[in-house]
Amino acid sequence: MANQQRLRFRQAHAPGATFLTYTPNGKKLITAGVDNFCRIFSTGSDDEPVTVDDVQENNTAIVAGNGFFIAGSEDGTVSKYSLETNKFEEILVRTSLPVRDVALSPDGNWIAVASEEIAVKVVNTKDMTQIQMLNDQTRAVKHVAFDSTGTRLALSCTDGSLYMYSLGSGPPEMIKKVDGMIKSLESTAEASSKVLWHPDGRAFATPTAGREIQVMSVSDWEKQRSFKTSHSQDITAAAWSPNGALLATTSSDLTLRLWDVKTQELLKTYDDMKATVLAMVWHPTENILSYTNNDGELYIHTDFVPTEHASLLAKSTQPAPFFHDPAEGRSGNATKQPTNGAELVLPERRARAGTPDSLDDLLGSDVMDDDAGDLQDFVVDDDNAGYAPALNGHGKRTNGHLPSLQSPKGKRRAYGSSFQPEIHEGFQPGSTPWRGNRRYLCVNLTGWVWTQSQEQTHHTVTVEFHDTEHHRRFHFTDPFRYDKACLNENGTLFSCQPSPGTPAMIYYRPHETWTTRTEWRTNLPTGETVTAIALSDSYIVATTSANYVRIYTLFGLPVRVYRQKASPAVTCAAWRDYVLTIGNGPVGGDGMCQLLYTIENVKRDEIYQCEDMVALTPNATLKSVFFSEEGDPYIYDSTGVLLTLMHWRTPGQARWVPMLDTRLLTRLASGNKTESYWPVAVANHSSGTPRFHCYILKGADKNPYWPQPVLSEFGFQIPLTSMSDKKAHDDVDEMDVSDDDDEDTGARRKSAAAQQTALEQSLILNSTLHAQLSSTLSHTRLTPHQKHRLTTLEVEIDKTLLQLLAQECLAGEDRGMKALEIVTLMRDANGKMLDLANKVATRYGREVLGEKIRELEERRLVGLDEEDEV
Amino acid sequence: MALPLPPGLTPPEIAFLCEMELVTVVPRQRLERLELLGGPLPPLNPPHRTALPLWLALLLKRQRRANILPPPWLSPHSLTAILDHETTHEQGFSPPPRLPPLPSQNTLPFSPPFLPSSTDNAAPDALPYHWLELGEMLLEAATDDFEDPDNVRKLLRGLREVRMAKLRQGVEVLDSEGGISMNGVGGMEVAEGRAFVTGVIDGLRKITVSREQQKKDKDGEQRENGYSGTAEDYDDDEMDMQ
Repeated sequence: MANQQRLRFRQAHAPGATFLTYTPNGKKLITAGVDNFCRIFSTGSDDEPVTVDDVQENNTAIVAGNGFFIAGSEDGTVSKYSLETNKFEEILVRTSLPVRDVALSPDGNWIAVASEEIAVKVVNTKDMTQIQMLNDQTRAVKHVAFDSTGTRLALSCTDGSLYMYSLGSGPPEMIKKVDGMIKSLESTAEASSKVLWHPDGRAFATPTAGREIQVMSVSDWEKQRSFKTSHSQDITAAAWSPNGALLATTSSDLTLRLWDVKTQELLKTYDDMKATVLAMVWHPTENILSYTNNDGELYIHTDFVPTEHASLLAKSTQPAPFFHDPAEGRSGNATKQPTNGAELVLPERRARAGTPDSLDDLLGSDVMDDDAGDLQDFVVDDDNAGYAPALNGHGKRTNGHLPSLQSPKGKRRAYGSSFQPEIHEGFQPGSTPWRGNRRYLCVNLTGWVWTQSQEQTHHTVTVEFHDTEHHRRFHFTDPFRYDKACLNENGTLFSCQPSPGTPAMIYYRPHETWTTRTEWRTNLPTGETVTAIALSDSYIVATTSANYVRIYTLFGLPVRVYRQKASPAVTCAAWRDYVLTIGNGPVGGDGMCQLLYTIENVKRDEIYQCEDMVALTPNATLKSVFFSEEGDPYIYDSTGVLLTLMHWRTPGQARWVPMLDTRLLTRLASGNKTESYWPVAVANHSSGTPRFHCYILKGADKNPYWPQPVLSEFGFQIPLTSMSDKKAHDDVDEMDVSDDDDEDTGARRKSAAAQQTALEQSLILNSTLHAQLSSTLSHTRLTPHQKHRLTTLEVEIDKTLLQLLAQECLAGEDRGMKALEIVTLMRDANGKMLDLANKVATRYGREVLGEKIRELEERRLVGLDEEDEV
Repeated sequence: MALPLPPGLTPPEIAFLCEMELVTVVPRQRLERLELLGGPLPPLNPPHRTALPLWLALLLKRQRRANILPPPWLSPHSLTAILDHETTHEQGFSPPPRLPPLPSQNTLPFSPPFLPSSTDNAAPDALPYHWLELGEMLLEAATDDFEDPDNVRKLLRGLREVRMAKLRQGVEVLDSEGGISMNGVGGMEVAEGRAFVTGVIDGLRKITVSREQQKKDKDGEQRENGYSGTAEDYDDDEMDMQ
């Protein structure tokens, strides 16, 4: 066996637990064991190792940075040693109980020390007076691990939980306690529960009680894929390869297994171990895995990855095994995020690779890379200032010292020939992306549809209703993997993406009919994918990747197919006969495509608005689009503003009106709440006023998840004044109660101002709603209820105007002009309003104003007031 | 023979009155508008939030036709804050919710038991008049609608203990001229404390009566002897006459 011959075994220490580490550049390997010395091996050399004396006995952990290494011992000391002089430097920390694990942050500035004490100490390696204590855990900690950025620290506690700390600039903070991942182990146990951060930084893995390696994503703390290791005993060590493409595991059953991360398949098993391997590290660049066992032996396994898989090791950083990788994006996504989330760099600043015909190739690697290391170590980075950074595998310095320039999304990313417009991604309104193995396909006021992926082969779709009496929830096994759904009172619509061999498909399933259920499926032409679907009471709409808008009746009859002018398609919505489609238009000033919408009536074959703009602020994106209960289009954008389209039935007259700015809500006024709102629908309250229904998401959540949040509703509030003004008014209200008489008048004036704001708000809101409703009236038959609402709104507006007039009259004679203007705004539906206004004026003794109002009344009677003055 | 009932309202009666309070429900089933003697009930239209009287909300909840949204002050966060306030301020109770702005002249004025103080838009930082009984009833009937029912139960219990202790402590200063501020005390607490407080006051009164009787006798003797009483005595006499 070639492998056997190359497997060099070296007796590093006396029999007993032995640990090892590589320096970041991989040139030196340091071992520590039960003896009172450490050994430093040079990579690729068979020379006798250098021995560092005056080390404590019974070492339990060892880490190495640039130019130093740190060993922790059972006598409770953590000591730092220099790699230049190979001498003891200082004791960094003392603990009262044996040290169990030490972790070094990637920048080499901090170490985390786990001991039999409950608290974990984080100490600066250069200044040991800088010390932070982590003590949220209940028992001693067995392992500690820094993530690749050094901002998160994972503690594997002996109580069977993981504790995640965030180490930012401020004091350390526990961000998450993860239960049910690791086994509860004694801190002296051979078995491991160590957190292995995947090199891409978005996930970590731990050995579980079931001897699996379970991966968990960091963004949402959801379990992702797992490696079913089939070790017959507890896992004692595991390690990701430096690029995260491979995983090595070993256990007390004396086998060492190599796994492919992408497929979670076993690549190779080595079963020639003689003792349990306790620690295992990959060489940072070469195909070497080194491990130490509890017999004091060190194995440096060169060519560890078999040659047929060695190409995996040469790849750049590979993504962690997610169920549904959030970085993969959705179909039709032209602007892909780099998959290696941890190292976002500009294209022109990627990691330097070896050039062909480089000096290394011509002269052979020995010249630059000899073991004595005399040339390379010419500049010794002894103060760690970074001018002699670690070398990568090609003998070049990495670009790690350059600031990681990251082009923010939404900014121009266009340089010269590589110009690419940033298009708005397609989305299905009311759906969420995958999180773990679940996602919502559709959420609205009828109910919600969600799907759960089951072991790659199929999904389970569940449809649930708010009204549990009228409809019954149902679920079914879904071999097509539907990824979009729509739900209304009549039925559910699904669509799936094409897979090799099967085209994309649309599936409609009515809830209940008086005949047998007439569900139907229809296939799209091969290669065409669905970007969005919509379902109304009478039609089904699908926009596709071929820029077609396909309209079907509820029984699957295709009634219209046409090409969308604005492309690629973004989304669509439907209400009764009206269909709203949105696509990407010309590129705007911010480098983003402007969104264009079209509204048409399918039944009358009439286009109301053609390729009109969706008004978004620069760099804002569209979050959702839907029709309200009364059939008016609404959009919700990423800045948290809900807008409606006014006068949309008249071509060229449409205009976006903000109805609610969620950033100005009073519940956010205190300033100590971070929440976002996930739009669901706009529907009328039983009192007749429309309300915005949404999910309130706490913290940084972007999408709702399980358990399902409670639907919240907010009344409309057109943004007129900012939150701070309102707060000031509130303060004034409070002062009202306790104030002295001197300040009382001032306070009263301010409270009158608050009242005025409220009246103005109600005036503009009611006029907007009135305009909306009366434009609906001109095109459709209104229900008696709606007619009633229209008159109520009119009366409401006039009433508000009267109240405003009364305030103006109260304020003084000099406000007469404004008062008269208010009177001219009156709609005077019942012909009594001007009379009333006159009465208000006389009551406050404003004779001149009364005169003017009478004049206006007369002009109205004659009909003079209608025309614009020339 | 009079009914052997203690004076005032009994706790079950208070609980019954509390059922008139409005709470917010998320209906799970449609229901038409109902014209009841006590006023019309709004139509239920899932999933729109609707304010219903507690008795109906509990009825619908038991039939699984609705979910009750606990009022904001019944969240662990708010209760913890109120409990903190109660324990740090030795004197007085946490303030009751602020009254809404006065209605215009032509509507009826409303008083605390009939304010929308337990709907989803109630103030999160104050306990309304019926807090104890409402909290108990909701925890009993709609446990699954709470995020953390055990914690809420614990906090309610804590609040009750603290406030009852304060009420009992207040009795120490209750003699003929003393008094304590009962602002913010709930209906059930009054009913619970009534027997004890009235008992104490009655006892105190009996003690002072004998003392006053002695004083009066003495005064009478003095008056007989032709000695005119001081101003204070005069006041006392007047009070006795009342």
